Amino acid sequence: MTKETAMNFKAATLWGMIVVLFALVPVLASSPYQINLASHVLIWSLFAVSFNMLWGVTGMLSLGQALFYGLGAYSVGLLVNYLGSAWYLPGIGIGLLAAALLAFFLGLLVIRVGGVYFTMLTLAFGQLAWQITFKWYDFTGGDDGIQGIMPPGLLGNKTAYYYFLLVLVLVSIWILKRMAYSPFGLILRCVQQNPDRVRFLGRRVRRNQLRIYIISSFFSALAGSLMVGVDSSIHTDMLYWTTSGEVILMSVLGGINQFFGPFVGAVAIILIEDYVGAYTEYWSLIIGTIMLVMVLGFPKGLVGEARRLIMRFGRTETGR
Amino acid sequence: MKKNVRVCLAIALLALMVMPMAIHAEEKVIRIGAMYPMTGRPGLYGIDSVAAAEMAMDEINGKGGVNGYKIDATFTDSKAKPAYAVRVATRYITEDKVHFLFGIVSSGVGLAVTEVSKQYKTIFIGTDHASTQLTVDKFQPYYFRVSNDTFSSMAAGALYLKELQAKKPWKTIAYIGPDYAYGHDQWNELRYNLDRFGVKHKVVGEYWPKLFEPDYNSYVTSLINDKPDILVTGFWGGDTVAFIKQAQAYGMFKKTLYFQPDAGGNYELMSAMGAELPAGLVLGARHYNNWPDTERNRNFVQSFFKRTGRYPTYAAEGAYAGVYAIAKAVEAVGNPDDTEALVKALSTLKIQLPEDPEGFTSYIDPETHQIMQMQAIGVTMPNNDFPPAKMMLGDWKVYKPEDIAPPAEYIKEKRK
Amino acid sequence: MDASFFFTQFVSGLTMATLLFLVASGLTLIFGVGNVFNFAHGSFYMLGAYFGYQFVTVWGNNFWLSLVLTAVCVGLVGMVVEAVFLRRIYGRANEGGFQILLTYSFILIIDDLVKLIWGTEYKSLPRPQGFQGAFQAGDIYFPAYNLLIIAIGLFVVVAAWWILSRTRAGRVARAAATDREIVGVLGVNVPRTMTLVFGIATALGGMAGALAAPLRTVTPGAGIEVIIDSLIVVVLGGMGNFWGAWFGAILIGEVNAFAVAFVPKWATLFSFLVMVIVLVFKPEGLFATRKIRKL
Repeated sequence: MTKETAMNFKAATLWGMIVVLFALVPVLASSPYQINLASHVLIWSLFAVSFNMLWGVTGMLSLGQALFYGLGAYSVGLLVNYLGSAWYLPGIGIGLLAAALLAFFLGLLVIRVGGVYFTMLTLAFGQLAWQITFKWYDFTGGDDGIQGIMPPGLLGNKTAYYYFLLVLVLVSIWILKRMAYSPFGLILRCVQQNPDRVRFLGRRVRRNQLRIYIISSFFSALAGSLMVGVDSSIHTDMLYWTTSGEVILMSVLGGINQFFGPFVGAVAIILIEDYVGAYTEYWSLIIGTIMLVMVLGFPKGLVGEARRLIMRFGRTETGR
Repeated sequence: MKKNVRVCLAIALLALMVMPMAIHAEEKVIRIGAMYPMTGRPGLYGIDSVAAAEMAMDEINGKGGVNGYKIDATFTDSKAKPAYAVRVATRYITEDKVHFLFGIVSSGVGLAVTEVSKQYKTIFIGTDHASTQLTVDKFQPYYFRVSNDTFSSMAAGALYLKELQAKKPWKTIAYIGPDYAYGHDQWNELRYNLDRFGVKHKVVGEYWPKLFEPDYNSYVTSLINDKPDILVTGFWGGDTVAFIKQAQAYGMFKKTLYFQPDAGGNYELMSAMGAELPAGLVLGARHYNNWPDTERNRNFVQSFFKRTGRYPTYAAEGAYAGVYAIAKAVEAVGNPDDTEALVKALSTLKIQLPEDPEGFTSYIDPETHQIMQMQAIGVTMPNNDFPPAKMMLGDWKVYKPEDIAPPAEYIKEKRK
Repeated sequence: MDASFFFTQFVSGLTMATLLFLVASGLTLIFGVGNVFNFAHGSFYMLGAYFGYQFVTVWGNNFWLSLVLTAVCVGLVGMVVEAVFLRRIYGRANEGGFQILLTYSFILIIDDLVKLIWGTEYKSLPRPQGFQGAFQAGDIYFPAYNLLIIAIGLFVVVAAWWILSRTRAGRVARAAATDREIVGVLGVNVPRTMTLVFGIATALGGMAGALAAPLRTVTPGAGIEVIIDSLIVVVLGGMGNFWGAWFGAILIGEVNAFAVAFVPKWATLFSFLVMVIVLVFKPEGLFATRKIRKL
């Protein structure tokens, strides 16, 4: 076996193990809480992975992806609330379409500038959307949110819904992975490292940035719309900038240069939040310290550091 | 060198994550899963609630518990985030097998948690969130609230204004309150009640600053220009403090009566502002440290002080009442496992609480599962009994629950 | 609506604007010189308020002395934070995200430390002696303390402009912002300059906190509430530009003041609206010093 195929094989095994593990959750779970937790983990993973396509891969640090996450959630939530639960699945579709359209128009505005200006602009639009949702009490429920949003028919069953979202999340992540390692993904990496050279090569930087902005927003909206069925509710929190910050944290924790980094980061953050939150009121101190340590000591993230360790041990084993 | 640092960091991280598991399965225990915000702005409400709930538990368990059952509560920071609170509530019910969900300060979080309570048929005792929706529009049989809703505060407020009008005719009224459900509910309910009691009034201004707005200068000058006789505000917590400080500098309270019947009379305001608090503001709250002047209330306030070194805000009494309500219901039923019997016991519960004046007993309304209590409104005046406060309320006007609870037609209308 | 109302509304807008500017000034300084995006700036503002409370209310010091002490203490905390933590991530790939996370972790940590030290009760500072009253003109009041704040804001913006453009230290700082390496080669100790600038910026934040405390509530979580508004101001004015931040703050303050007076129902949306309109036409802000167009 060549090294290349061995790596591929390993990746495939890992991938398979993740699928099996998550598929078995409802069977092994001792309580609905664990299914709920696994759902949160999966949805946040999708959100984080799609965010990292924007940041880790293309170098566009958006602090406003919560806008699309919330848009997905509110499309489903509002449609179901006003028109009935039959609109659940169409709601997801409408939400995705709306997210793609909004990302297109917003993208035209925000990708005109780079670096921290891009970050600020995305933050600004995100906060505007949050403020409107918060304010428009009669329509969105404002700070109270909307509760009791049930998916129709079979999907009303928690386990069935879990498998529904499992399939959608895994397929989405698989698509994003294919994309990240396709020629398109390569161009995106080049956009991050050397936009001028991309131009010399006759590729358009802006167009590719816009594309990935739309794609990332699309999958963020999908994550948001899937979340509605898990908690049966929507809240303005979903649009707040800290939600956008959370996915940055997940990406860094897992490792931004690894495709699966944000996935692992999401798992870790959700579990840490629940675990720490359950045992101390000083969770903010502890999570803050974890963030600080990760940023300063392990910039490659959990997956990156694990790889480094594997590489080192691998070398000593086969070295002589 | 660098490697060692990394290893140390990694170990530190691991140590943080492998904290001791403290799950224990005692025989006869009433398990309460409580959620309160303990950080940021509403943190004070949460911390006071936790202290008071623990105080009640110690008192009850110290006397041998209820029918041989000890009360045991877990407290989790709700972070005032609905999605997170739903996750915690689900964990409480399905993993920790709690008998009661408990607490919650924010109405938004309360509305999310009441859905979980309904779904899993687990009783939810609300102790501090005030939205009338929970007991009226979004009522579900497993929900009970042991603190005031905004409706009764506002109805009491309307009666106060009516009496005032008879004494000292006022015509115009203006409102300022935070721009979210709590702020809007109060204003709607106050106007509903003013109309219901036939109080003639003219609204000259309505203002909606955002929640936690730090700067009210522009609102104050605009309000002064509106020249209202009565200024009603719907703030809570630090926003009240900031508004009063800024408005006072403009001499606003010389011409306009400041009126805040739901959360204004909370002790946090008195303790934060000390001597700076102007006299003559008309305020109400869900519990007062100096009213009613009964032994029960004095004991409650003093034991809280002994426990924490400070006097309680109103959130504390709600949590205290919640634990006692649970104890009383379990005592009547005999065990904490028969949920349906507990619901029945709770919905006809009568209970003596620190905020009950002599000769009155709080009771739960079977129709709404809302506790019915006397509501007092007072005026700020010098009083050094509860330092660091230098002003407290006095000159009380007291209203009976039958007069201020949501009327049947209101409930019918909202539940449609 | 008469002219005197317009004037009072304008002045009350100025008060809000100036406090906003004082917070934003530190933020824009760190960004302009250090290219550091300090999300925790609001937490230094909060620390300033708590230090002010400690010095004045608990230890009974004179307000003005306390103000100076607060600025110095918060500045020192800022310098330590920069030298121990922030410095380590300069120049890292994808630095922006790491900056946001690192400074966000400061918010979380400082919030809990404040809670551990001072508890969750709301604290309050009285207005200083001599500034408790108000100037009265007919029916209208102008609180003396508010006018003082407006004056201090003007002083800060002029002083900062003078230092940055007319003194050697200011020129070094600006040069370091443009090209750290060259400045280093020229014999300037760049890391020390950065630490110092960060210290000054956080001191400005701390001073704003202590100045605002007599008008507002000292409470945990106060930092996160001012940071977004200050960011808006900094972005509006063009990041790193003092006059821009001052103008941005006045714009937001006045738009808000008149929105409150004439369309109170929608007032809270206006500051966002202004920002969006400006950024659609001038994405790098009104007074951008540099064009950062390339990615």
